[in-house]
Amino acid sequence: MLSVKRKQFLIFIVPSLLVLAVTVLYPLVYSFIMSFTSSSLKVRGFGDFVGLDNYIKAFKDAYFIKSGWTTGLFTVIVVTLEFVFGLSVALMLNRIKRGKKLFFTIIIVPMLITPVAVGLIWRLLLHPDLGIVNYLLGVVGLEGQAWLGDAKLAMMTVVLIDIWHQVPFMILLLLAGLVSLPGEPYEAATIDGASRLQTFWNVTLPLMKETIIVAVLFRVITAIKTYDLIYVLTKGGPGTTTEVISYHIYKQAYTFLNTGYSSAMSYLLLLVIMLLSVVFVRLGRGKAQAR
Amino acid sequence: MTAKRSERLLDSLTYIALTVCALIFLLPILWIVRTSFTTKAIAYQIPPKWFITPTLDNYRDIFTDNPFGKYFMNSMVVSLVSTVIAVFLGAMAAYWIARRVKGGNFLRIAILGTQMLPPIVMVIPIFMMIKKLNLLDSWVALIATYLSFSLPYMIWLLMGFFEAIPKDLDEACEIDGCTKMQAFTKVVLPLAAPGIMAAGILSFLMAWNEFLFALVLTGTGARTLPVAIANMETQQGVMIAQLCAATVIIILPVVVLSLFIQKYLVNGMTMGSVK
Amino acid sequence: MRKHGLVLMAIILTLSLLSACSSGNKSNSSESSAASGGKGKKELNILMESVPDTEFVKQVVDKYTAETGVKINIEAVNYASMHEKLVPQLLNATSSYDLIVVDNYWVGEFTDAGWMEPLDSFIERDRFDTSVYLKSLFNMVGQVDGTTYMLPFYNYAMSLIYRTDVFMDPELKSKYQAEFGRELTIPETLEEYVNISKFITKEKGSTMYGSVMMGLRPDPISVEWLNYLYSSGGEFFKEDGSPRINDANALKALELYIDNMKNAAPKGAAGFGFDEAFNVFAQGNAASFVTYNWMLNKLQDKEESKVAGLVNVAEVPGGASLNGGWGWAIPKNAEDKEASWQFLKWVESFEIAKERASLGGSPTRKDVLTDSDVLGQFPHYVNVQKIIEKSKMIPIIPQAPQLIEILGRELSEAVSGGKSPQDALDTIAKEVKEFE
Repeated sequence: MLSVKRKQFLIFIVPSLLVLAVTVLYPLVYSFIMSFTSSSLKVRGFGDFVGLDNYIKAFKDAYFIKSGWTTGLFTVIVVTLEFVFGLSVALMLNRIKRGKKLFFTIIIVPMLITPVAVGLIWRLLLHPDLGIVNYLLGVVGLEGQAWLGDAKLAMMTVVLIDIWHQVPFMILLLLAGLVSLPGEPYEAATIDGASRLQTFWNVTLPLMKETIIVAVLFRVITAIKTYDLIYVLTKGGPGTTTEVISYHIYKQAYTFLNTGYSSAMSYLLLLVIMLLSVVFVRLGRGKAQAR
Repeated sequence: MTAKRSERLLDSLTYIALTVCALIFLLPILWIVRTSFTTKAIAYQIPPKWFITPTLDNYRDIFTDNPFGKYFMNSMVVSLVSTVIAVFLGAMAAYWIARRVKGGNFLRIAILGTQMLPPIVMVIPIFMMIKKLNLLDSWVALIATYLSFSLPYMIWLLMGFFEAIPKDLDEACEIDGCTKMQAFTKVVLPLAAPGIMAAGILSFLMAWNEFLFALVLTGTGARTLPVAIANMETQQGVMIAQLCAATVIIILPVVVLSLFIQKYLVNGMTMGSVK
Repeated sequence: MRKHGLVLMAIILTLSLLSACSSGNKSNSSESSAASGGKGKKELNILMESVPDTEFVKQVVDKYTAETGVKINIEAVNYASMHEKLVPQLLNATSSYDLIVVDNYWVGEFTDAGWMEPLDSFIERDRFDTSVYLKSLFNMVGQVDGTTYMLPFYNYAMSLIYRTDVFMDPELKSKYQAEFGRELTIPETLEEYVNISKFITKEKGSTMYGSVMMGLRPDPISVEWLNYLYSSGGEFFKEDGSPRINDANALKALELYIDNMKNAAPKGAAGFGFDEAFNVFAQGNAASFVTYNWMLNKLQDKEESKVAGLVNVAEVPGGASLNGGWGWAIPKNAEDKEASWQFLKWVESFEIAKERASLGGSPTRKDVLTDSDVLGQFPHYVNVQKIIEKSKMIPIIPQAPQLIEILGRELSEAVSGGKSPQDALDTIAKEVKEFE
């Protein structure tokens, strides 16, 4: 028996569920079925049922496994750096009073640029022979680098470009969390005579926990799904040094036309992200209740 | 006295650090602006010409070669409408989940789970569905598709912000006799405004920058800016100067838009409650 | 309190926008849903690649509309997006496109999947003469196993583009004579080419590289290296269809390629795409460049290039360059194939093909390529015709896109030191063998 209030409350969630059922559920189920078939873009419909063959194939695919590790490395570096950098900038922005708008506007501009353009523009800036970056390095007496053309540097270069493009998202979310914090705990901390670092550690971080977990998990998921930047910058090269998993899946679907196999790989990826998310969410919720 | 001085020192350090950060973001943008006023031959000249005679050709080109204004309009409408719907539905759903005791974790993961599949494998079923509904190359197709990612992310982001708001506040309002909806709109929403703005900007930008669905689902009628921009990389080379001009044109209005929205985001509602 | 009011206002705005757009959506959808007509279609939709040749088609289609009353809508997307865009369309029961252009990579895949309408009955009925096309082009983006699926649209055979002033430089010439005991000329073998290009880089340092190369995966490195492969007498497959991509000729081609990349090309060339390489050449920092023959027209354009007037085109050293081209095709699921054919016949007629060529288009018809007006405008087409006639194509197999992808990955591994040249070639052979 639902009370009238509970019934009214359902109005809050039902519309979203309906929209999601239409826009997300259908493609999810469709590609799940596809992952058990030999489906290819060359033939209409699903193709033959092949059981777990696609999944087994994925585990034997050395390039898939390697791209998994590459993605893991990429995600860890990108998210960690973005979090540290993003939190520092958000804290600084939250502290100042004058010029806040100006700084904020400048800092969010990169994320307004579409990834394809970001890639192409950075290729202009980082051109080893004709780029402004190497030229300026030369002016101050440093040797220019090959950047995207150097197997050792390519990954780091992609990471830096991704940070330039995506860190504003992190700043945005963390700043929103910071400005929503209640004022009372800080007053209490000041009365207790806590130092700045103590206040940050004992008041700000615990209060920000929810926001931090949301922001970090959001970036983890989008970082794992990165493919357009790789597509424009390196196409996975030199060699396979920057071949991330989403790009690998993309090629299986559109170059090799194996939609069945690419769906299976996608679901394996989904499983991994799902486990990661469970850990994150548990982490956040557990502590929140303790508080 | 010393406390004040250290405060002032910290202030100046903060400004210096922020200026450095801002420069990291700004310098490449300035280079884009400069490139947008040059030809390709000058764009790649090293050592660079510092004083160039600017040309407006690139700006003229992008508007004459293709209906850039129309693509801009398409992008704006699709991104704005999908964001508004996502904010509206997502905020309510997020509140519902945030105030639930049981099953919260499961719902969280489930909602996020919808976003864990690479979009590449979602494109084919979505294309077939849209084609069957005879909606290819329309705004509706893109808006509906964009809701498939902006709504879950919106719910997910807002849950966090709503949870940070103490339950007692809206419960107190309900005890005073308001309905759930009133408690939500009068108490929770104002407090979560910075979060909603942030999530709204995020959702807008994800739609604004989306490429793959826009490519597959549109023709020339509903084509969006990212697709138009991608077309500037041709088999005969990248039209880098035009691309920079297009980028400048894309950035400008959104910067203006964000100036308007920032009021809610940067200052937040806490100042209101302190007053 | 004021701020609460603002938020409320925002919500009301949201609500009203929402209702406005949900009603607005409906009208929009009915407006923009593809115009579909039965036979005698009055509007044709064409999917093309965003290249200048497409622009030249756009410039002439108004004539067709004036003659026949049929409106032509050209949708141009970039190369990388075309495949993604086409495949879902071709897979469906009906297509939004009446005419498409097909890259030579995709010919095997598209015919294998049965996505293209055979044109033979139209050609026979209207006595359209297909013998006017250059043979190497017609065999690539025209006929497959005796059935005509396409008409060649434009060519992009590769060539050696070089700086006339550098290869004529008396100082370089005498130094080369002194060091190697032979004359510095446009090289005829790959070994000589790599030797000259290393020599120029050594002499001129970073102001002038002997050659600029492009090592980006998958297309740039693959198509560049295939010139080396074919010019070294290598091939993908033996007569019996088994791969010979890891034989001695291929190994020689790869070793020369890596030698040139490491010792002559600019630093970072392993990550260059077409555009980066083009710009190095256009800024005057390289003496030679293996690329599409029509890049010459762009290099003569002062807006984009600083070496206008100092460049010429020759065949790739060794003589067998990589052929490439696009063909017009009618999708099997097009709505009104007769209407599509009528336009195709018109756009590929001599007059229109010549008009497109004089605008700067890259010809596929012999009679256009040798036309005196066209030759007067583009004298280098004499060379281009020879290059196209001698060039070789990527094998027409359904897995050609995969082939390029695998090739690009392994070549890049070899160039960046991830694998030895022989290992990389063996991997290609092994994966190619797995194609059924």
